[in-house]
Parts: sequence; structure tokens; C-alpha cells
Amino acid sequence: MTRFVWFWTFWHWSKEGFKQGALLRAPLHGVASHWDEWLRHEATERERALIEEAGAAEADQREFIRWLAKEWAPEAGYRANRVVVRFVLGQLAGVQPFARWRALEQFREGYGVGGISAVVLAEGSAGTPGDVRLIEALALPSDATGQTVVTEDFHIDAVDVEIPRRAAGEALRGRGLVAFLALWVGCGRRPYPVWLRGVLGAGWFGVAGLILYLTFGPDPGSRLAPFAAVLTSLALVLIAVGVTTAGVQIYQCWRGGGRLAETLEKSQLRLRMKGGLMVKGGSAGLAFCLSSMLAISRAAGRQTGSWLWDRFFRELRAKNGGWVATGVVTSAAQLKSVVLEPKLRACLAHPFVKHIIIPRQRPALAPGLALPSPAAKTHGVEPLSVAAPLTPSLRLGYASEQHYLQSHACRSVAAAMMVIGGFVSRWQMAVNVIAIASISALLFSAGDLASVLFPPRAPFAVAPASPSTASVWVSLDTRSPERFQVAMESSYWANRRTEVAAHRGDHPSVRAEIALQRLASPSSYDPVDATFWIERRNQFLGREFEAGERVGCYSLRYLRNLGYE
Amino acid sequence: MTMQPNVGQLLRWRLALSEAEAPEAPTAASLLAIPRPWWELWPERFRDCVDRLSQIQVNHAFAMADPSRANPGGYLVPCVLENGAEQKEVHARILYFDVRKSQLRLRFALENPGEKAGDSLELTFVSEGAEHPLCAARAERSLDDEYHLEVELPGGIAAQWKHLKVTDRMPFRFILRPISGGE
Repeated sequence: MTRFVWFWTFWHWSKEGFKQGALLRAPLHGVASHWDEWLRHEATERERALIEEAGAAEADQREFIRWLAKEWAPEAGYRANRVVVRFVLGQLAGVQPFARWRALEQFREGYGVGGISAVVLAEGSAGTPGDVRLIEALALPSDATGQTVVTEDFHIDAVDVEIPRRAAGEALRGRGLVAFLALWVGCGRRPYPVWLRGVLGAGWFGVAGLILYLTFGPDPGSRLAPFAAVLTSLALVLIAVGVTTAGVQIYQCWRGGGRLAETLEKSQLRLRMKGGLMVKGGSAGLAFCLSSMLAISRAAGRQTGSWLWDRFFRELRAKNGGWVATGVVTSAAQLKSVVLEPKLRACLAHPFVKHIIIPRQRPALAPGLALPSPAAKTHGVEPLSVAAPLTPSLRLGYASEQHYLQSHACRSVAAAMMVIGGFVSRWQMAVNVIAIASISALLFSAGDLASVLFPPRAPFAVAPASPSTASVWVSLDTRSPERFQVAMESSYWANRRTEVAAHRGDHPSVRAEIALQRLASPSSYDPVDATFWIERRNQFLGREFEAGERVGCYSLRYLRNLGYE
Repeated sequence: MTMQPNVGQLLRWRLALSEAEAPEAPTAASLLAIPRPWWELWPERFRDCVDRLSQIQVNHAFAMADPSRANPGGYLVPCVLENGAEQKEVHARILYFDVRKSQLRLRFALENPGEKAGDSLELTFVSEGAEHPLCAARAERSLDDEYHLEVELPGGIAAQWKHLKVTDRMPFRFILRPISGGE
């Protein structure tokens, strides 16, 4: 549209000036300063008249805003990063003649990108609603000056914004992300529809129930094999679903985080906090870090290709106004303790703040801390005493009205991400505990189940035979002696059932040694009247079931003669 | 007796009235002082400022990554902010530097946050090595911490500064003097 050709004239003057070394800042980063210079000294009378004409009516002003978003931004190379237009409008809104434009009113207030708030106490403040300050963060393409973080409307030591930026990088691709993924695997909500979540949960409860039944219930007898098959297959299916889901999510999250981290590396973060404060200390670090992550997600585009990131950023955007974060953040994305009492006072007195993320520290509140009641806000009296122990999630409130403040104690940025994203799921935590216990039990009894489902080959009786006539050795050619036992049935000798075990010494073999003991009143007087049965043993988690299938039968005479023929 | 106004008398009365209300005529000395630059009027103050300026040591060192822009952030220009008897050391970052013909257009930002230097500043260019005044100009605040000015440079200086880039080391330092509204 040729109507706003004057803006292109300005833009090209700015680009040329930067290229030739007359302007220090890149055209985008110094847009307000450059515009002021261009309008004062470079714009022609005709261009000034066109600019005045463009701002004559509010509808024309809105037309210019639309033109910037639809025509200028894509043409200037900012198609992907939609917040660039907000930045340009926010910057221009403060210089003439745009400072008079009513259509830019909202951009004078802020960039309108929202974010999480910080509690920055004014000098001498004991905690008032005004101390809760919204942090707005934008990510622009980095400029030649190499400045990674620029603060607007407040001053702060460079290190106090650089460390949160690094922490954001760690949370996007580094130890912070590893910690987040570990927390999510442990207790994080999965991307299942409700019905599938119910089915999988029921499945794990079923597995646990079967394990308990097989361990403590009545002997299943011949149903042992079907039970073992159902248990094993159900557990394998559930493990496969869980591992596949977690694996895919972790992979997508890692890739998405990597792309976001690359965007962070190539971006200049601009943090805006109203009030013109000179901020001392790093307690706003967590808010800076989270706001920076949000800014990066906006700069990179809405979809990251990862359910975890998309959900986290969607929830973070939705937390605008009602959530506050405080905590000193380290470059490894860990949280350090801060002074909490005045910050909690400020949040409690704020009408919209419902949640605060704080470092996990001891004590969270000093015992007997006096928080102001609603009356105290206006009259300075009637403090409400609260003695609060340290709890991961503490709920404070006024006795006289519904206003409350939910605190979320976190050790790291990863834990804060879990809270903000609404990933913490008690149901999933319970299912995971049951799943881990079940998997442990199944691993412990894997051999038993395998023996039931895939029984080892039936063994043969082999030498050596017992050198003594007082006992019988039933030596077997098997590598799984623990899966077999030998039962002796006789009318002359006392019946015995003996386990098969590996024996060393002069006659090493895998065998059952059965001591012969004559019955007090035998029904037969034949001392070789004895039958030896080879039986399978069925076990589960140390429980011995009834004897299994008989897979061999030998006479005493045969066993005594083995090796002596 | 005629009541016709005597125009001559009326004019004389009005003249006498104007003379009575008018401020006193400036003295010859004050008339001579007006066009003279401040460093000639108060050479001691100027000397103090220059001494203070010369004490500001700026040692630059760079670990270059991009040879196309050796110092992308530009150099800081040492300044003395003279406010009456009080002198403060500040630094200015040059944001725009353009010499066309003999006209210099300059834009800079004061780097010391919290220092409110005023809306208008009298800016004196002092040569880096020789420490003598080059020229003076009035700088106006335009954005938060930014000032802009336009000044006619002496011929020799304009030729020397014509090829300077904003990222180059500047061959001058500043003495800044806030200008109150009435001046």
C-alpha cells in the first residue's frame, strides 16, 4: 500500500544508516530513536504531511497498525516472529507524532504480551499490592551489539538478568530440561484421553491385583498358566504403552527444547517492568526466567511439535496476572531462598493474585508472621497471625473473606514448570507407584513366570547313582534344577518329596538326594518297591504352588543301577 | 478650556511610563560577555573540568568474533557533568554520528542510570589529546536517556570527522552543563 510509503522511506534510511556506520543500533532495535532522528532531520515536508494525514483519524491509525502487521512485517523479514510488530508499535507509541495517536494507547501501557509477575518491593515497602509487578518479555532477533538482554523502564545489574536467561537456556535444553523430564516421568500427567487414562490405570491395578492374588490368594492349580499368561501379557502391553509414550514425549520435548534454545541463542530478550525502578537483588530471577521462556516460545511460533512444551506455554500464557513467581535462580536453573514475608503480604493484599511460586526453603514463613487482614489494609490494624510450617504447597488466606493465596514451593525451574503446566498428577503418581512396584515384582519373579509359561525340557535320570544303600540319588540332566523336584512313592519306604539341587564334591551332579527310611508298618515287604516321579515346581515370588506336571518316572532298581551297568 | 487631548503630552507621558518600568540597560561588559563561550568566561571552571576529564581512564580491550564490526557496541565517550560546583563522571554512548558538509548530527545516551542530567544540556566538545575546546552545542533530550544535537563544525574538524563511524573511537570528550529553562 503506497499510503504508508513514508514508513518504508524511514525504514530504508534506518537500514542504510546502520549499514554505513552512522547508526549504532540495528533498525529494529533502535526504531524509536531512529524515527525521532529521521522525522526531525530527514523527513520532507510532503512526508510530514502524509504522516499527519495517516494519524488524523483513529480509523486511519488502526489501518496503519494493520498495515504494519500484514504488509510491513513480512516484507521486512519478520513473518515468523509476530511480536516484532508489537515491539515496533510499543516503541513508536512514545515518540511523535505517534505519541498522540489514540489507537496506540494500549501499546503505551505495555506490549500486551502478558506473562508472570514478580514481587519487587519498593524501597521501605513492607509488601503492598503495588509491589506485584507484571514482567513483559519479548524476544527479538539479536543485533550486532551482542546485547543479550535489554531492560525497559527499569534498571538492574546485568548479571541479574543474564543468569535468568542462562537458566532459561538450561530449562530449554540442558540439565534443567533433564530434571523436568525426570519429574514428568515420575509424576507428570500423560497426553492420554480420559478413557485411555482410565483403561491404563485399571490395567495397572489389574496387574497389581493379579500379583497379590498369586502371592497371597488360593492356589490357582491348573489355572496358574493362564493367570501367568494374562499377567505377563498385560504387564508387557502396559509397559510398552508407557515406555513408548514417555519415549516419544521425551524425544519431541528434547527436539522442541533444542529449537527453542537455538532461538534463545539468536535472540535479544527485552524485559519490561513498569515503575522506573532501580532493582537490587535477584529475587525476580525466576519471573525473568519464566517470562524469557514465554518470550522465546512466542518468537519461535505457537507450535513446538511437543505436547509437553505446547501445554506448558499455553498454561504459562493463561497465568497472566493471577500468578506470581519469586526466587533467586542460578545458571543451573536451581532456585535459592529469598525473603518471603513482605512478598506474601503484597500478594495477599493484591486482589487478583491467587498463586505464588516460591523457592523451597525453611522456614517458608517465620512462625507467628502477622499478615494484614483486609481491615488492616485500610486502617492499619487487626493483623491476622499465621504460623505456617514448610509445606510444598501452602494455602494462606484471610479468615473474613474468600481471598486466598496458594504457594507452590519448588527447588528448581523444572519444578516450577511442572506446577505452571499443571503436569503434577496424583493419579499418575499413584499409577506410577503401582506400576513400579508391579514391574519390580515381575522382574523378581521373571524366572518363575518364564518357567510356568515356557517350561524347561523334561530331564532324564543320569549317573551318578548313590554309592550308599541308605539313600537314593536321582541325578538329572537339566540346567534348571530349581524348576524340578522328585517325589518318591513306596509301600515299603516312607514317601518323600525332595528338591533338586546342584551338588559338588566327589560326585558332582544335579540331583535330589533321598534318604530311605522304612515304614513302621509297611504294606509291602519288597525293598525295591519304590517309584520316583520327576515333577515340575511352580513358584511365584517365593511362594511354592502345588506340584506341577509329572515329567518322568523311574524305579528304585533303575536308579541304583545307573552307572553300574 | 479645551478638553482635546494633547497628543504630544500623551506620548511623552507614555514614554516616561515605559522607561520607568523597563529593566536597566545592560552594561557594556555584560554585552561583551554574551557571545563569548563559557570556557572563556570561567577559564578556571573549564580547567577543572578538563583536569577531571583527563583523569578518566578508558582502556578498551576486545575479543573479536566478527571482523566486519570490530566493536559493535561502540566506544563510550568519557564525560564530566558539571552542575554548579558539583562535577560527576559519566559516560555517553554515541548512537548516531553523521557529518554532512560541516553539519554534525549527533545522538547519544548517557550510560549512568539514575543520573538525571536535565532536559537540555550545553555540550562542549573537548579534543581527546590536546584537551582544548573544539565547539559547543545545545543537546535536547528526546527519549528516556537520549539526547540529540545539531551543530556547525569548524571547517578543519568537519573534514577530519567526516569519515568517522559511530562504532569508531571518538576523538573527543564531553563536558555537559545542564541548561535551566530560563537560559
